[in-house]
Amino acid sequence: MSYTEQQIADMVQPTKVHRSLYTDPEIFDLEMERIWANAWIYIGHESQVPEKGSYMTLNYGKVPVVMVRDNDNDVHVLHNRCGHKGAKLVDRPCGKIPAFRCCYHGWRYRLDGKLLGVPHLQGYDGTDFDKDDPQYSMQKMTSESFRGFVFATMNPNPPDLRTWMGGAADVMDNLCDRAPEGEVEAAGGVLRYEHECNWKMFIENLNDTMHPMIVHRSVVESALDYIKTLPEGSPRRDEAEIIPPFGASYETFEETGITGFRFGHHYDGGKTSIHAKYTLDPEYEAAMLKAYGKERMQEILSFNTHNTLYYPSLTIKSAVQNIRVVRPIAYNKTIIETWSFRLKGAPDSMLKRTLLYSRLINSNGSMVGPDDLTAYFRMQEGLQSQASDWIEMHRNFARDEKLEDRMVGKGTSDLDVRTQFSAWREYMTEAA
Amino acid sequence: MTAVITSNEKIREIEQLLYQEAACLDRPDLDAWINLYTEDGTYWMPAIPDQEDPHTHISLFYDDRVLMEVRRRNFVHPAAASKDYDVRASHIISNVQVRELDEKSGDCTVTSNFHCFLYYRDKQTPYAGKYTHELVRDGDRYKIRSKRVDIINCDATLNTIIIYI
Repeated sequence: MSYTEQQIADMVQPTKVHRSLYTDPEIFDLEMERIWANAWIYIGHESQVPEKGSYMTLNYGKVPVVMVRDNDNDVHVLHNRCGHKGAKLVDRPCGKIPAFRCCYHGWRYRLDGKLLGVPHLQGYDGTDFDKDDPQYSMQKMTSESFRGFVFATMNPNPPDLRTWMGGAADVMDNLCDRAPEGEVEAAGGVLRYEHECNWKMFIENLNDTMHPMIVHRSVVESALDYIKTLPEGSPRRDEAEIIPPFGASYETFEETGITGFRFGHHYDGGKTSIHAKYTLDPEYEAAMLKAYGKERMQEILSFNTHNTLYYPSLTIKSAVQNIRVVRPIAYNKTIIETWSFRLKGAPDSMLKRTLLYSRLINSNGSMVGPDDLTAYFRMQEGLQSQASDWIEMHRNFARDEKLEDRMVGKGTSDLDVRTQFSAWREYMTEAA
Repeated sequence: MTAVITSNEKIREIEQLLYQEAACLDRPDLDAWINLYTEDGTYWMPAIPDQEDPHTHISLFYDDRVLMEVRRRNFVHPAAASKDYDVRASHIISNVQVRELDEKSGDCTVTSNFHCFLYYRDKQTPYAGKYTHELVRDGDRYKIRSKRVDIINCDATLNTIIIYI
């Protein structure tokens, strides 16, 4: 490798990062080894493997893995690779199987990955091949789940998932608590959106509250322009509550605040966010009231965050019930998945709104996401210029407040990005 | 409703409407395009094959008049960075079949196959699939009450789809 440890450490300074972090394929490979293999990476939700034998496939960094529910109802994350010649054992996005069976020589595996059978086994007689040697089974990754959200890691000594999430776990709790039954389930499928940019550009944008009024001005103005033409008393539309807040002022975003944690997690909002003024569905309110009582319900519904990042792979919107998952492909290519969730015990109108939001804001055909993506690919291309080697992140530097387990700052602070890069530096240098 | 295909003349008229709509999207001219739709018209691009409805599963597009009106304005808004690039398309429509026809009103459901090449940001992307149009009679012409666009790779990883297909 061509970088020394010191050179890597020096690429992240308190108020600036080196452009190679976005443009150098070698840095990307190191990130996969040191960040993506050591952090807890989001795999999927337990509700996506509802029955014994249900599985879903994905890539963990570059590694093909499969999440599967076994016959004891335990959920495992396994390397999706035959212990024989290495063929991927399942190759559909999801499905249901009685056992894994390789398409090549028919090796069979239990749902927890243990090798069950090898055809014509007598050919191995007298050799030192041992079918029960664990190396020939499907390899299991370390996985843990938090309220149904499954994460996995290749780190041999990871902090436990809850400790790693720190105070950012409050938001995932809030997402689930918003269900009258206290649980969510994945619903309504996925959108997979190719982004021609480095993975970090996407996650740096999540709590970047200095961009919406610029990047999303066109759709906000188009919506407001149309709303003006509507006669008095026109029916309320969810779109009219979802789109215009993207054009909120700097002062409004300033007030939302940003909170950062160890390991790179952060969220914006808390007391308020751009989702705070959504009309409360009366049927949903009644179900929540019944489940929690007034005080607890108000506590749950008044915790209003916008985007919460579990660095580096998962971002959730608790108030909207959708999540986006980051799947890096190359230094300049990333796939962003958008999944929607149903609040168990809530009326169907809640999932309908979630899907409306996902479509309106995050879909490939939306009028919001493509404008964000334009900024990302222009950065990806612009950073090929050597005009400067550094990208600044000074905003509100040294004005953020350090509390016991978190940093808090104004909504327009670069605290979020500094939080990410502090984790980047820790992962990239500690693991060496 | 009967499943018969009547006169050549009617088929010609229906085809002409499909071509006219495609021509609006070729340019693209959303101001002209929106006038081909009824006030309660919808444009839907499902995200999975055989998707049953747009409300219990995510879609790539599902616009009613309100969102068409917003999109029409946004498409030419000078501040929309994603629209800084030329957008040009070429649609070919074929295999037009009238599936259901109300002989009395003339309202019908029409399916067709399409190939569309979309040029955007120095890249040409092919889309192919099936259209399902619900057409209703409006005086001496047809209007589109709904258009469903099933692209054959709807559940694949896709890039931005900058305009209706």
